[in-house]
Amino acid sequence: MDNIVGQRSALTWAVNFAVIFMVVLWTVPTFGLLVSSFRDRDQITTSGWWKSLVSSEQNIIVRSQEPEKNVKDGDLYVLEGNIFDATSGEVRAFGVNSREPMAFLPGAVAEMAKGRTMTVAENGDYRITSVEEMTGTRGIRIFATSVTPPKFTLDNYERVLFSEGIWRSFINTFTVTIPATVIPILIAAFAAYALAWMEFPGRALLVAAIVGLLVVPLQMALIPLLRLHNSIGIGKEYLGIWLAHTGFGLPLAIYLLRNYIAGLPREIIESARVDGATDFEIFRRIILPLSFPALASFAIFQFLWVWNDLLVATVFLGNTEEQLVMTGRLRELLGSRGGDWEILAASAFVSIAVPLLVFFTMQRYLVRGLLAGSVKGG
Amino acid sequence: MKNSFYAGVATLALVAGSATAQDLKFTPGEGAFNWDSYEALKSMDLSGETISVFGPWLTADKALVESVLAYFEAATGANVEYTGSDSFEQQIVIDTEAGSPPNIAIFPQPGLAADLASKGFLAPLGEETGNWVRENYAAGQSWVDLGTYADANGGEDLFGFFYKVDLKSLVWYVPENFEDAGYEVPESMEQLKALSDQIVADGGTPWCIGLGSGGATGWPATDWVEDMMLRTQPPAVYDAWVSNELPFDSPEVVGAIEEFGAFARNDAYVAGGAGAVASTDFRDSPKGLFASPPQCYMHRQASFIPSFFPEGTVVGEDADFFYFPAYEGKDLGKPVLGAGTVFGITKDSKGARAFMEFLKSPIAHEIWMAQTGFLTPHTGVNTDVFTDPTVRKMNDILLNADTFRFDGSDLMPGAIGAGVFWTGMVDYAGGKDAGEVASSIQSTWDSLK
Repeated sequence: MDNIVGQRSALTWAVNFAVIFMVVLWTVPTFGLLVSSFRDRDQITTSGWWKSLVSSEQNIIVRSQEPEKNVKDGDLYVLEGNIFDATSGEVRAFGVNSREPMAFLPGAVAEMAKGRTMTVAENGDYRITSVEEMTGTRGIRIFATSVTPPKFTLDNYERVLFSEGIWRSFINTFTVTIPATVIPILIAAFAAYALAWMEFPGRALLVAAIVGLLVVPLQMALIPLLRLHNSIGIGKEYLGIWLAHTGFGLPLAIYLLRNYIAGLPREIIESARVDGATDFEIFRRIILPLSFPALASFAIFQFLWVWNDLLVATVFLGNTEEQLVMTGRLRELLGSRGGDWEILAASAFVSIAVPLLVFFTMQRYLVRGLLAGSVKGG
Repeated sequence: MKNSFYAGVATLALVAGSATAQDLKFTPGEGAFNWDSYEALKSMDLSGETISVFGPWLTADKALVESVLAYFEAATGANVEYTGSDSFEQQIVIDTEAGSPPNIAIFPQPGLAADLASKGFLAPLGEETGNWVRENYAAGQSWVDLGTYADANGGEDLFGFFYKVDLKSLVWYVPENFEDAGYEVPESMEQLKALSDQIVADGGTPWCIGLGSGGATGWPATDWVEDMMLRTQPPAVYDAWVSNELPFDSPEVVGAIEEFGAFARNDAYVAGGAGAVASTDFRDSPKGLFASPPQCYMHRQASFIPSFFPEGTVVGEDADFFYFPAYEGKDLGKPVLGAGTVFGITKDSKGARAFMEFLKSPIAHEIWMAQTGFLTPHTGVNTDVFTDPTVRKMNDILLNADTFRFDGSDLMPGAIGAGVFWTGMVDYAGGKDAGEVASSIQSTWDSLK
């Protein structure tokens, strides 16, 4: 069977190996991010995601309860409690001084200044004794090396979705993306049909002009377009960004769809004409259903591009709660919460969830659509 | 379909908008506030006016500024919409160029305000405001000078009003770690260096320094250099440097850069070694203070840095600061480096003018002072409202200063102060020669002229 088409190369294993290597290389960081987004914030800062399944050892500083809450026990004033609040853990070593945080083994009694002693048990129970009564509201620092079991949590997602405003931005991004995908497809499908099957003077020139527009960088148009929006009263509103994305997406959309539609069999369209169908009927009943793969593949392109867009949104929308899109929100988070990795990891996954879903549900059209017009010619 | 969708969005926006309206934080008439100035605001009737304010403040700072704005809204009936952005610097340029600016813009750097003023995008505040600042701000004339820029025709006018000042010459530390090791807060630069050496001798690391800040990587180093400039040279030399009368590559400036290098390029002095300085994020760098055992003992950073301390850190107890000291042997007094935010009118309206009047009232300063992280040169405020002892301590540093100088990189042209000065400092921290870095910055400056 192997030799039906041709000789199987002896280097197949090298190709396979290279492919696997590339796939792993590309997915490992994403996977790490995914793992991190479920981890506890204290564990993220002390160990890498690849150690997420083993217990992590960390040096912690805990404060005892307020010294004034001490109780008299015989001759001594005693302060007791547990260094692990609600969590569980195991103490490997403890200390009373920042210079030697691992000086004592659990159970040992450490001498402190002013006739105080401290002991920390393996389960985190501490006991501080003092000859004199202790006062003050600031707890005494306890240094401990603790081993905490791996901990996974959904808190990060909860926090991201409900208290960092990501959810609101999620809705905003949808508000931008859906019309900004649908409008250009509608316009482009009509235009593509006209440019492919309707005879009128200057058609070739028009197609050339559209292909030419593909190379115009949209960055050039940002400020003049916003100025136009301001002067005709659209301002910085959703309508403005829909129009902007429509404009920026149309050249590619028309080009892609025209090539596909022009490649449909001439016989179908001509026989429909003979049967008395108008152009609109041909478009609606024949062209649209037949060009579904091309429409879908462009929809994916446009959807992903608009979803991930930051530049156009920054220019055409404001920064208010009601207008800030996902990418903009993530940028703000990087600034204000740049050190909180758990928030960033969870936010990243919230933001890529939708593109992934769109891609996997529609990817079978993507390949078919990409081939649009490539072999049949225009 | 499209229309109804659009209408739906608008309703959503309205609902969300009304949900953010907030109550007044301090009840009018109670406490040590200047409530008279609040009552006086009520003479301005702005009901129905909407004033949009755009600034760089986010999260905690956003909540604070909104708590101040609430008083303006309550007194005048105006509706103030504050929006903050991390990319304020880029966005305000887009908005003014395209003709959709907010009424009021809050500039973190005077340089940017000057840029916009020279393009004619800011409205002059008028002679009356200038006189008011001269009379009511400590060192009033210098604040007027810092807010005066050339307009589109080259004429000078007051465009910027300073509100909220940050103090930069601070060293943060953990008092209990100092206590454990028996270290004393240094009173002079000589003592600070001796302390750093002692920490190294004791097997510790004295400093945490991080220059990383996304697109602005390098700025923390410019603050160091400016502080060192003020501690090695008289203020007049500093001013000449900022205006480039003194070239960037002159020995005075190179000397200050090397003073910074004495800390940042000393492997034993910096947590993670000198190589980690440029790659550590400035927001992460203070965390070493709180590690166990401490990764470092001191961190030089402006008054805003407690926002990046680990959650639950109490400033004044878990962490504290001291004045980044001056050389005893140099007789330059106690120089202090600071920065401030500038309010400017980007779209003139009755409401915007009234808002500027509001900023002059003591109550606008006191509401924020009574919360956290606010310093002001306004002499008419009642300092009793400082609830936070650390802020009072900062204000004392400000008041005890012999020399107050504004952050130099904020005053330099954008291409220098927010460009090659930053990148140059990253190169320097990475091991490039100070003279070489300085002369390449100077050659960029020459090309701007």
